[in-house]
Amino acid sequence: MTRGCTYLAAVSALMLGACATLPEDAFRLSESALEMRETQSRTYEDVTDIQILSASSAVLQDLGYAIDEVEKELGVLSASKRADAKESAEIIGMIALDIADCLLTFFLGCENDAYESSKDVQDIKMTLVVLPDLSQNGVYRVRLTMQRVIWARNGTLYEQETISDAVVYQAFFDKLSKSVFLEKEGV
Amino acid sequence: MRNLLVVILFALAGCAAPTAAITAGGSQVELRQMQTREYETLDKRGTLRSVVATLQDLGFVIDKADYDLATISATKLQKYAIRMTVTVRERDGDRLAVRANARFNEQPIEDPKSYQDFFATLDKAMFLTLHEVD
Repeated sequence: MTRGCTYLAAVSALMLGACATLPEDAFRLSESALEMRETQSRTYEDVTDIQILSASSAVLQDLGYAIDEVEKELGVLSASKRADAKESAEIIGMIALDIADCLLTFFLGCENDAYESSKDVQDIKMTLVVLPDLSQNGVYRVRLTMQRVIWARNGTLYEQETISDAVVYQAFFDKLSKSVFLEKEGV
Repeated sequence: MRNLLVVILFALAGCAAPTAAITAGGSQVELRQMQTREYETLDKRGTLRSVVATLQDLGFVIDKADYDLATISATKLQKYAIRMTVTVRERDGDRLAVRANARFNEQPIEDPKSYQDFFATLDKAMFLTLHEVD
């Protein structure tokens, strides 16, 4: 790609970004909102909100997160970390693409731009909210929401998303349940 | 240099943000009205908790939460990014005003429909919080 082309591409990307319109349903509950709430929530009994928050920060520390925000009056805890996002299958694919590009252009297009646009690192951010359950006394409800931004090797945005995979939430809550137990026992 | 000028003109023509131009210089009062809803309660904690629950339901992650200042900031990441700040203030000693303002990518959201949708969702959470908790 020539410099002019790169410049034009950058400007086009900027224009698209600036002109993108707000989806109509951005502030409406989606059809899967209830299901998502269940996936992202667990209840805990015979435990205080402070114990749950302490147990949560212990799990987050175990997982290498930094705590960004805690507001115990509202039961809010936010944490983030930067992690590896490389996928070897993708890397192999992209290198193959670059080689094919090189051969097809009779060695004129020998740049590793496909490889450079592959996933590199991800910034993960999560919020955990502990609130008293509205329908049961003495029960706390923990709700977790997670999102991530994935960056490509060349420093551009690869993807940003809200994490909705139930397996990820299940894995976190498994660890949290153990941690809450340890917290209660004073271990 | 000439190329740069052409590109800038092109960019301006392609993206003149027409709605912003129509309402530019409009009343600040209107913006506040569409971004604010009042609730007949003085339960600041319950209201803030409802705001947090609503934001989570809508797929936001909480960036900042401050009970004393009654301010919550949150971000939603899909193909786009929405950043939102919600504040709660007491009004006339008998009710609370919830004000929300949001940004879509880098532009402020000034479309009343978005705020109506947000408050419609918050209304439901407020109803549960204010009627079922002692």
